[in-house]
Amino acid sequence: MTDAQHISQDDLALFAMQALSAEETAAVRDHLSGCDVCRDELAGLEGDLAMVALSVDQQPLPAGARERFVQRLKDDARAVSAKKPKGAEPMLLERTSRWRGVAWAGWIAAAAALIVAASLGLELSTLRARLQESDNKVAALEASGSRERQMAQVLTAPSAQKVVLTAPKTPPAPTGRVVYLASQGGLILQANNLTPIAAGKVYELWVIPADGSAPIPAGLFRPDAAGNGSVVLPQIPQGVKAKAFGVTLEDAAGSKTPTAPILLAGAAPENGE
Amino acid sequence: MLAGQLFPPMSIEDQNPFPSKGRTHGETVSSRVIGTGEVNSDQSLMEHVRAGGEQAMASVFDRYAGLVYSVALRVLKDPGQAEDVTQEIFFQLWRSPDSFSFSRGTLGTWLLVVARNRAIDQLRQRRPAESVEDVVVASATNLQSEAETSILMQRVRGILGNLPREQQQSLQMAFFDGLSHSEIAERTGQPLGTVKTRIRSALSSLRKRLEP
Repeated sequence: MTDAQHISQDDLALFAMQALSAEETAAVRDHLSGCDVCRDELAGLEGDLAMVALSVDQQPLPAGARERFVQRLKDDARAVSAKKPKGAEPMLLERTSRWRGVAWAGWIAAAAALIVAASLGLELSTLRARLQESDNKVAALEASGSRERQMAQVLTAPSAQKVVLTAPKTPPAPTGRVVYLASQGGLILQANNLTPIAAGKVYELWVIPADGSAPIPAGLFRPDAAGNGSVVLPQIPQGVKAKAFGVTLEDAAGSKTPTAPILLAGAAPENGE
Repeated sequence: MLAGQLFPPMSIEDQNPFPSKGRTHGETVSSRVIGTGEVNSDQSLMEHVRAGGEQAMASVFDRYAGLVYSVALRVLKDPGQAEDVTQEIFFQLWRSPDSFSFSRGTLGTWLLVVARNRAIDQLRQRRPAESVEDVVVASATNLQSEAETSILMQRVRGILGNLPREQQQSLQMAFFDGLSHSEIAERTGQPLGTVKTRIRSALSSLRKRLEP
């Protein structure tokens, strides 16, 4: 399993996948506890395995999964905040001590009173916690308001100096804005600050479908002298939900498949088409 | 599913950044900043999570639950169990946000590995073999951008799909089916050493091909 000093890569990979026997696993774990080299190697292999995991077909979450998770978060947050107030228990103890001198005949009444006292104590501590929470919010709002007033003063003062800073001698970054209506196959791209390209080359726009199918070529364009370029209503299929859009540099005739590097890319938002 | 169908065979075209089925590309896009709409980085979200931010945790869930669920479903083949695993992983991250550290890698890759391991634990009906804190994933691959992740995903599929069939088979049996090396050797009729070599070779090839 090990060479002179370290665990073999074969076994580390199996260890990472929990595919070794119990004895082998224990031996590797024991070695790892004292070997930085093997721990680093294992972490690298875990990185490789993350990529293997990334290869699975993506499936939508079951309906309501997000809501169930958010509800669980809320429930947990409530439970944690309910635990925070510490006043309830001491208050109960304090009230209990007051009842020690009462005659034995009064124990039943005392027990009942204790329950009421405990209940009141809990309620009081909860109210205190809420009050404290409100105080904190007010303090935060006051602090925030003060800061906003100061910001407004700085921004509106006639004597304030206003200076625009830009990176020296850095050309503006190319950008593109796509508007896409999947149901009609309607797409408009407006790109700016594009780098000039050689004769015989063109920029090509791509639609990356959300279903993982092949990128769809969505028009060729060349930038004008100012670096602006556009694609307006290219002929593309209707009803294709897009995950992202990208722009590549291709030969003048365009390409059926995009060529690296990706020059511009952007993810399509979940909402809207 | 047959072993060889895990990673459908694909041709190699390294210059394709948006590979369709049957294509791969050679550039590591994951290291570049592309995409829009990334309002919050993982680091920023996790800072809020550590401070008790429910909304931030919900955003982490929105960003990665699909990936985690898909891995769990691939292993367990049961949507209910896969959701249970997914919910548990994110809830555990909520309760113990320090179980993940950015000094160790990226949140997305860490979640992928944890998802696979937890799903295998569930498959084997056993208690988790390790705590999440023990999982260290050395990876600079950032999965914050959906577009970028999608492209990388296609690329990985292409690389794995082009591995020799026996390497794909061994890797699948170990990684997704949760079989031990001796079980794989028994099922494939191959010596133990061969099984080990195939798995290691598959991972080495994947790493090499993903290198910039």
